[in-house]
Amino acid sequence: MTGDYKAGKIESMDESSLIQTAQNGDLDSFNTLILHYQDAVFHTALRILGDEDSAEDAAQEAFISAFRSISSFRGGSFKAWLMRTVTNACYDELRRQKRRPTTPLEPETSDGEEMDSPKWLADPNMTPAEKSEADELEHAIQHCLNALPTDFRTVVVMADIQGMDYSEVAVAVHVPLGTIKSRLARARLRLRECLRSFEELLPSSFRLEGESNP
Amino acid sequence: MKNFKDIEQLSAYLDGQLNLSDSARLESRISSDPELASNLNDIRGARGILRKLPARKAPRNFTLTRKMVGLRPPVPQSYSFFRFSSAFATILLVFTFAANSLAPRLSSPAPGFAIGMGGGGAPEATEAPAATEAAAEMLPAATEAPSLEMPLAATEPPAANADSFATEAPLAPESTMLKEAETESALQDQARVKQEPFVPVTWQLSLLVIILISALIAFIINQNAKKKWS
Repeated sequence: MTGDYKAGKIESMDESSLIQTAQNGDLDSFNTLILHYQDAVFHTALRILGDEDSAEDAAQEAFISAFRSISSFRGGSFKAWLMRTVTNACYDELRRQKRRPTTPLEPETSDGEEMDSPKWLADPNMTPAEKSEADELEHAIQHCLNALPTDFRTVVVMADIQGMDYSEVAVAVHVPLGTIKSRLARARLRLRECLRSFEELLPSSFRLEGESNP
Repeated sequence: MKNFKDIEQLSAYLDGQLNLSDSARLESRISSDPELASNLNDIRGARGILRKLPARKAPRNFTLTRKMVGLRPPVPQSYSFFRFSSAFATILLVFTFAANSLAPRLSSPAPGFAIGMGGGGAPEATEAPAATEAAAEMLPAATEAPSLEMPLAATEPPAANADSFATEAPLAPESTMLKEAETESALQDQARVKQEPFVPVTWQLSLLVIILISALIAFIINQNAKKKWS
């Protein structure tokens, strides 16, 4: 089934008609939507949970839950609605993790040692220096994200990593717009403090020197 | 460090969430307040780092199968019919068993009624032989007595006696036999009622066959629908 869906089909899809047919129980239409959003969903779950396996589980659960409740979608941003499902799945996963022993966040070799340069980050087009730089950046950011309270982390992941606007984040997290503004400001403030401690480790291009434009 | 209200304003300003007048007011403050400008740069830097974080692709496709979401294949209407008939026949079969087990209990007032009737009847039956015995004892005595002592006189009174006994003595055995026959037939009827179930076994077997056939057909229809669907 998985192989039936082609990227070209997804690019040319009419999202609203796909949603409508999915609401009538058409799984193929929903799978087309999944292929369109699965990277964003997985990446969001990964940044909230900080663990790839848990993120996979949460993403899969989110899509299953989304299909079952798609009839409740009443228009608006489908991405925001989907992200709400992902957020709920991530919160469920975090609650589960609290009840069971934690797993290491860093990928390990077969000997049980942490990988210096995980293969899951490897990009064949990157030079070794770039790979190392990307690795350090990701580790530092994920470390600082993990240090945030879950509510703050969720908001900052959606706004700054997924690039969603405030209203979409408000729909996804199901809190008022003012709360989103407040949480985002607090999260950025804490991230700034946390990343400052990693400044020496961060690659030069990622130093906290700000952007040229707002 | 500015107060949190300023930080919140700066964060919203970076995201273009302030209206024009608020933006203009904040911009004028930033230009005149180096600390505020420094805070803006810090928040912008943190936001910039997050935005530069490379997007991770899904390690696999998360497309769903029908099994994962618990969807069932569309089945023809005949499936519902056979499923219903199987269920209905099962209920009927259960009722037949219940009826067969309850029927003798429901007919128990009949034995009770028979006892009520027989309360008078049973002693009669037990007393009847005694009456016949007494009659039988008296009859030979009546026939023997006239022949030995008083042939004429004896013939008459015994005749009178014989008349009186003739009406009773021959009737007593007949009524006894009739009563015996009646009680016997009543007992036979009761035994027959006890032996024959309320719902015949053939009916139950028929229901069982209907259940099995309907269930089998429904199962086959469902399996075919699943095969066509997958």
